[in-house]
Amino acid sequence: MDTNTLVETLTQYFFVILSAPLYGGILGKLKAMIESRHGPSIFQPYYDLWKLFRKVTIIPADSGVFFKYIPYVLFGIYSLIALIIPVLIPVPIYFTASGDFLSGAILFSLAAFLKTAAAMNSGSNYVTLGASRTMSFNFLSEGTLITVFIAVSLLTATNNPYTTIAFLTSYFLENLSLTHIFSTLAFFMLFFYETGKIPLESSGLQELGMIDEGLNYEYSGKLLAVAKWSAYIKQYLLGSVLLNVFLIPWGLFSTSPLFLLDIPVMLAKWMILIFIVLIVETTLAKLRLFRVMDYLAIAFTFSILFLIFGEVIP
Amino acid sequence: MNYIDSVVYLISSLTAISAFYIQGQEFIVSMIRGQSVQSLLIAVLAFIIAWEERSIDFFILGALIIVLRAFLVNYFLQKRIPKQKSYIYEGRVSLSYLFLVDLIFIVISVFILYSIAFSGIVLHSFLENSGNSSVLVFPITLFFQGLFLIASRRTTFTQIIGYVEEENSLVLFAMFLLPIPIIIETSVFLDVLALVVISSIVVLEKFTHEPVEELRG
Amino acid sequence: MIAGNLLAILILLIPGFAGIFYRSRIKEMSVAAAAIDLGLSVIMYYMRPQTGFFFVQNITVLFIVMVLSVYLLSTVYSTRYLKGTENMGIREPTYYLLLNLFTISMIFSLEVNNYGFMWVGIEATTISSALLLITEKTETSLEATWRYIIIVSAGVTFAFISIILIYYSLGTLSVSVAIAMHPHSKIMVLAVSLALIGFGTKVGVFPVHTWLPDAHSEAPSPVSAMFSGVLLPTALYVLYEVYEIEPIRQLYVWFAVISIVAASIFIGYQTRYKRMFAYSTMENMNLALLGLAAGGLLGITGALLLLISHSFGKAGAFYSSGNVLRFTGKKNIADLSGLGTSMPYTSASMLMSSLAVTGAPPFGTFFGEFLILSDVLSLHMYAQFIIVIIFLATAFISVNYNVTGMLFNGKGPRNEKDKLMSAVSVISAVMPLFIGIFYLVVYIEVL
Repeated sequence: MDTNTLVETLTQYFFVILSAPLYGGILGKLKAMIESRHGPSIFQPYYDLWKLFRKVTIIPADSGVFFKYIPYVLFGIYSLIALIIPVLIPVPIYFTASGDFLSGAILFSLAAFLKTAAAMNSGSNYVTLGASRTMSFNFLSEGTLITVFIAVSLLTATNNPYTTIAFLTSYFLENLSLTHIFSTLAFFMLFFYETGKIPLESSGLQELGMIDEGLNYEYSGKLLAVAKWSAYIKQYLLGSVLLNVFLIPWGLFSTSPLFLLDIPVMLAKWMILIFIVLIVETTLAKLRLFRVMDYLAIAFTFSILFLIFGEVIP
Repeated sequence: MNYIDSVVYLISSLTAISAFYIQGQEFIVSMIRGQSVQSLLIAVLAFIIAWEERSIDFFILGALIIVLRAFLVNYFLQKRIPKQKSYIYEGRVSLSYLFLVDLIFIVISVFILYSIAFSGIVLHSFLENSGNSSVLVFPITLFFQGLFLIASRRTTFTQIIGYVEEENSLVLFAMFLLPIPIIIETSVFLDVLALVVISSIVVLEKFTHEPVEELRG
Repeated sequence: MIAGNLLAILILLIPGFAGIFYRSRIKEMSVAAAAIDLGLSVIMYYMRPQTGFFFVQNITVLFIVMVLSVYLLSTVYSTRYLKGTENMGIREPTYYLLLNLFTISMIFSLEVNNYGFMWVGIEATTISSALLLITEKTETSLEATWRYIIIVSAGVTFAFISIILIYYSLGTLSVSVAIAMHPHSKIMVLAVSLALIGFGTKVGVFPVHTWLPDAHSEAPSPVSAMFSGVLLPTALYVLYEVYEIEPIRQLYVWFAVISIVAASIFIGYQTRYKRMFAYSTMENMNLALLGLAAGGLLGITGALLLLISHSFGKAGAFYSSGNVLRFTGKKNIADLSGLGTSMPYTSASMLMSSLAVTGAPPFGTFFGEFLILSDVLSLHMYAQFIIVIIFLATAFISVNYNVTGMLFNGKGPRNEKDKLMSAVSVISAVMPLFIGIFYLVVYIEVL
């Protein structure tokens, strides 16, 4: 038992779990500031989760056994993913070896599938709306997710994201290689879909634009709190992979005790990402639903095209 | 890979991306502009090769491409769009399926054509891996995308643009292999220009092409 | 020899001189130019240009004479044909100008000694002939024009890839040098195969022949005659020059056989006579391709004999069709009957032409087919031989059944309004007969 690695593991895990709702709060506050409102405080998601945990949990009468337990399973899956991919520490820690990068992508798919299955199990109508939309679009988004995760391996001939981070930080020029640029672009487009941002999905007050949010509709109380928390963790995980492996691989420390500096570095990187997302969200309008498929097809095309070219070009 | 290699690969891949852009467009003016951008990118590549190889031929080629393809073709086609509408809407184009079919097409064509035949070709010397002719995959992709554009759309304008895209891919292909004598390249360009002019006369009359009963069989 | 070069340039440019008279009298000047050019080209047999910019062999002279003869016949025929067109898409002087440009580009492709310029010439033929198709402006003819332009251009672009590859591996685009070199490499095989699809689009090889029936049926008859009689043989010549660099016999022979099969099948269910003749052209062209691909003295002689007789015969068929269309205004085979009594000269020429193009003895096409098939047999290609014979017979039966159905089924009043058109069609239909008999006599003499 290496104390160092143990501390690193615990740091990464608790950082992911505890700071995930923060970014949603920061994004909400900044968007409100741009729109000349006061807006909620940046810790509002924490207050919401605390409130929900104390509320009564109501379950529809027609729901099955899946419905009650899946949010906890989702939380567990996302916790596992939090240890597999490089979201805080740029070197492998405990439990990292339990799956490689591709298994991370497949775990994401598994989580999406379970969530949809549980939502369908509740037997309600609004939820079916969200579920049918999710299923129609997921075939393109899952494909893009998996191919993007594999495109990482084209640069280093191995699927290990940690190797890729080390490779990209040491050779600056490799950042300009074709596969890297275009798979980053594809992943960036995918990030907007998976985390439910405008221009793809509008959450909050208008339910007609829901794709992913609709799956949460029948949950209440503790289950809703766990489901929302899982969604925040998913957003953090995807964004961190985008930042650490694709966009900005530099700046992470791996030795002790410097790895504690990784926490402010990640926060700073996330501010950059939040800033970019903010500009996109407040500038564009939401796409009509049939165009969401076109958008995802473009992302998919980018990722596959450069996967093919990456194989062919030295 | 050194800097020049990366830049050459990047620009070549941008031409392939511009072909996807043209494929997905519904407005004709955007397609014509996309084709000008594509020709411009190829001219930039010609200038890069001219700079690296210190050869005046490629420089003239680049200038010719800009004048004939990026400007004149653009001008002739845009002149033919009716005045009262500055845009023309093609009609429902289901983007995602076209893209997917296009991708499948590209995969098959690239791998088959490439792996069978081109293994013995040596490119320009300034490219680092000049023994490896893999940059040729971009002109071949562009060629098949031009063919697919002709096959998948029904308006005359789009089919003309598909044909010009094919010719662009040939110019790119020739540029990577070796300098074709200027006189031949010039005549090819003028040929394409004449074809565009003739087509633009036809386009005035006949805008869409549905299957015709008398011409079946 | 300077005189030869000058002669070649003159032959190339004389049809263009008629274009100077665009404002007035272009018709008569075109006819005169065609006649002079034909005379000059016969002289060229004795005075060849130097192999430098031009490359003229015996075969080339034959092709040039063929081109110019059909051009003369078409020009004369057009002077009367165009009078009856209702809705002219292009004006009459423009028509003659384009016809002359068409001929110039074809002769250019034949004479020049450079593959790149040959490609440019073939593209130029597309450009100059495209507008000829809308002489009678209807919805259908516009659609046919567009299909012609885009399919031929997209196909011939394939051929340019092969030209790039030829230049890459040989370092020169000169035809005479390339044929003398005989390189053997994978790249040359690829180049010649691509040229089959590329230039084969213009010749009428199977998967890429789809523009053929549309263009031939919608064009005015003299233009159809020039397409069938001249344009396709020119493209075949260019294809043959590429083939000679690296003869991949099996590929070409099989494509020719498949195209013949396809053409015969398509002839079977045609309902319009012009389309039927168009598919018959496709069949004959692919027979000639078979003969040229099989190589050997018999095959090449047979192919040349077939091409010449077929040009005149098919021109005669299209002139007769034009007569029928002009005098009766009907396009369907089923609508016509009793032409034998209402139009004696036209029906005589149509009967002779259809027998000529399907290869009945004693027309020249029969001897051509005979020589080609004996060459195929001598190469031990038994499967191809049997297939070709079966489908040639099928096409023979279909075409002649339709034609005799039109001619002999009943009676009608005399309807032959224009003597010159009929005369031209009869002359053109009789030529294969002369060629056949001439060949037979020469053969017997030599033998």
